[in-house]
Amino acid sequence: MTHIVLLVQCLGLNLSAPLSWPTWVLVICSMLKRRESRRAVDYRLVALLQLLSTGLLAAQMEGLLASGLQLITVILALSGLLAHELGGVVSWAALLRRSLQLLLAALPLALVLFLFVPRVAPLWSTDLGPRGGAVSGLSPEMDPLSIGQLARSDAPAARVTLDEEERLNSNSYWRVLVHEQFDGRSWRHEDPPFPPRSGRGGPLSAGPSQWWRVEPSAIRMVPWDGAAQPVSTDQWISSEGELLMASSPRRPRSYRLQQGLSSVGWQQQQPQPRDRALPLPPDHLPRLQALGRTWRDQPKDVDRLAAAEAWFRSQPFRYSLAPGAFVDLDAFLFDQQVGFCGHYAGALAALMRAADVPSRVVSGYQGGRLVRPLGGSPYLDLRQSDAHAWVEVWLTGQGWKRVDPTRWAGSGQPSDPSIDAVVSAQAGPVPWWRWLQLQWWGLDLAWTRWWLGFDQATQAAWLQALFGEQLRWAGLVAVVLAAIAVGVGLMLSRGGWPGFHRDPLQRSLRLLKRFGVKAMPGESFPALCRRAGGLRPELALEFQAMAEAQQQLDHALLGRRQRQYQRKLWRQSRARLMVSASRSGRSARS
Amino acid sequence: MPSPEFCLGLRTLYIIPSRFGMVWLATAALLLLVAIQTSSNSTFLIAFLLLGLMFLAMFLTHDNLQGIKLRCGESSPGFAAEPIHYLLVLDSPTPRQRLQLRFQGQLPHQLDHLEAGETRVVLSWTPGQRGWQVPPRLLLDCVAPLGLFICWTRWQPPKPQLIWPARRRGPVQDSSPHRLRDGLDEWNDLRPLRPGERQALVDWAGVAKGRPLQVKLFRDPGDAERMLSPSAGLPWDEALEHLAERIWQLHHRGERYGLKLRGRTLAPASGIRHRDACLALLALA
Repeated sequence: MTHIVLLVQCLGLNLSAPLSWPTWVLVICSMLKRRESRRAVDYRLVALLQLLSTGLLAAQMEGLLASGLQLITVILALSGLLAHELGGVVSWAALLRRSLQLLLAALPLALVLFLFVPRVAPLWSTDLGPRGGAVSGLSPEMDPLSIGQLARSDAPAARVTLDEEERLNSNSYWRVLVHEQFDGRSWRHEDPPFPPRSGRGGPLSAGPSQWWRVEPSAIRMVPWDGAAQPVSTDQWISSEGELLMASSPRRPRSYRLQQGLSSVGWQQQQPQPRDRALPLPPDHLPRLQALGRTWRDQPKDVDRLAAAEAWFRSQPFRYSLAPGAFVDLDAFLFDQQVGFCGHYAGALAALMRAADVPSRVVSGYQGGRLVRPLGGSPYLDLRQSDAHAWVEVWLTGQGWKRVDPTRWAGSGQPSDPSIDAVVSAQAGPVPWWRWLQLQWWGLDLAWTRWWLGFDQATQAAWLQALFGEQLRWAGLVAVVLAAIAVGVGLMLSRGGWPGFHRDPLQRSLRLLKRFGVKAMPGESFPALCRRAGGLRPELALEFQAMAEAQQQLDHALLGRRQRQYQRKLWRQSRARLMVSASRSGRSARS
Repeated sequence: MPSPEFCLGLRTLYIIPSRFGMVWLATAALLLLVAIQTSSNSTFLIAFLLLGLMFLAMFLTHDNLQGIKLRCGESSPGFAAEPIHYLLVLDSPTPRQRLQLRFQGQLPHQLDHLEAGETRVVLSWTPGQRGWQVPPRLLLDCVAPLGLFICWTRWQPPKPQLIWPARRRGPVQDSSPHRLRDGLDEWNDLRPLRPGERQALVDWAGVAKGRPLQVKLFRDPGDAERMLSPSAGLPWDEALEHLAERIWQLHHRGERYGLKLRGRTLAPASGIRHRDACLALLALA
């Protein structure tokens, strides 16, 4: 059973991740070991291998479903361990109850350790995430055609939920990649260098948070709103305004961003020479270069941008995801004048550079569906069909400013029937299976927010809020809490051994002891009850009823209903006797 | 007179992590390392759960032995150099999980479950010498419920057990004195009761002492009647061992025999009581 649950989880592993192979090996080893186990130490080792496999699986699969399966595996592995120690004395149901009881008993101490043991950053830089596997999403090279294909895909891209629900806006722009290299046809992205560890993570603030859950992709850059700051040290913002993650992009990732107190630096980052230059020979894209140069007459960059907008609006541009083949941007701008966001953004950025205004193309997501699940907070569901490209231009005094030229084309309304279909599919009523998926994602996001949100930064902020200036007392408080947790755990674990303490005979014998009646060697339980009835004649009938019910429960072949009935009779007579025993005890004390 | 009780408590119990516990601890450390490297909260929690379970197991394993009272029971005599049984009584106020008992250097006896109340446990040990002997030190240990800690106690059972000389084939001085016949009213052996056998043959006296239901075996003592004494020229203990073997054989053949040893004489007779009396005389000679 435990191995089936483990195998189901292993099937979800990405085999290109370095951790996935040890996990598979451990699970297979534990299965083989289980087959040839004969001694106690072998069975114990199997249970430990199962727990170790579960820990490794937990490091690779963090979703709600995976976490649920991991919890089941831990309980089953613990049951296996206990089952051997008990040598089949109790039933599986009792074993499971005992495992849960032990787990609950260990949980207080585990939680104290979880909350108080200081989190440390990874000890060395090892990418334990997958290096391959199915991914979808944005590409570092923005060939206009790629976004057009992406816009037809309804695959999930990301989900975001915010502290302030009213800020969840389906018109927001979520930036991912900045493409600053232009080769005359496509815009390419250049990977920024890894900053030193000390340069990562922003100052902590009490601002509202965003929780993101993104699907596997081929790039390290993840969506964000361009304003918040990462709280984890394995995330940082590049000088171009990209949010990068140190962990592998080829697995579902979760992260938290927090609204920073300081303004975001990337918007004021001076443009590089490459943002300004249009490294093209004069005979390449001649018409585009000529048009851009005409705007150089304008003294201010704001005026040049306004001239470009006026020119776009004056032309009969149309939006289409199937515009046909282009020779180059000249053909798009001056001949066919049909395209989608990638074409408009690429063309405007090139025109602005020709007009000597630093510019670059940004790709990311825009739109999405606001989902209000039955469980969890509202969230924005971003699909690959929400992929979008826009332009950032450097305006003196304002910094990098977002411009979306797609909105200038045909009033920004798509005229292509295929994209109409995608949009209407998102806006219309959802099928039942999609509804279920959206509900599940709501729960998954709530889990992400609640469970995965507790990271190194959150722990530091939480301890700071709890202890303030007296942070040095945190260790002492943790030790005291750990001692209390151990006490609570011991109370819980000693609280009952379900398989034995539910035994009517043992419980009845304990009750009789309270009346001062102890079984003599060779004395049967009914005889003991008769003796007790002789000592307390007023309770003789109750003793007899308890004995009869106990005999039925322990020795008679009873159906389920009959067993329940006899158990009820036994409970009733025992309860009445307990009341009498309590009264006797009180009167004896007084 | 009941033998003194030995109560297992904080002063008499010892506990250390078992080898499996050390592996468990190493696994928790490995999971912590993975959790740090991957910043995985679930792995952190599993690692801390392993640590929490280990810490709890220390108390639970100790609890499993604490409060048990040990005392010696009435043990039957046995031959030296052969495994014999020693009766122990365990008195526990609550049910206990798997325990293991053994005399030092002997095979362990496992108790899968110890019910509340008194439990009689028969342990075997192999005495080396005749006479009143105490068994080696008792080792009672348990690793339940998780096998992470081993908790144990050592106790020297104070009650000695009568050990007859080891049985060894060899010469004995055998004479045939004046024959006495006691008739068929003496039984010379016991065997388990079979269904349908007469109740009158059951050894009720033994049942009252807690032994299982057994049937007395009667044999015609026949004409053989011997008086045994140690063979001359042999070391004393070796001569006694030959006598023990001879007495055992004669008893099983149902013959009547007597014993003359260092001025003490046991008149020829047969039966278990006579055999035990002869062997006891050898043990204490």
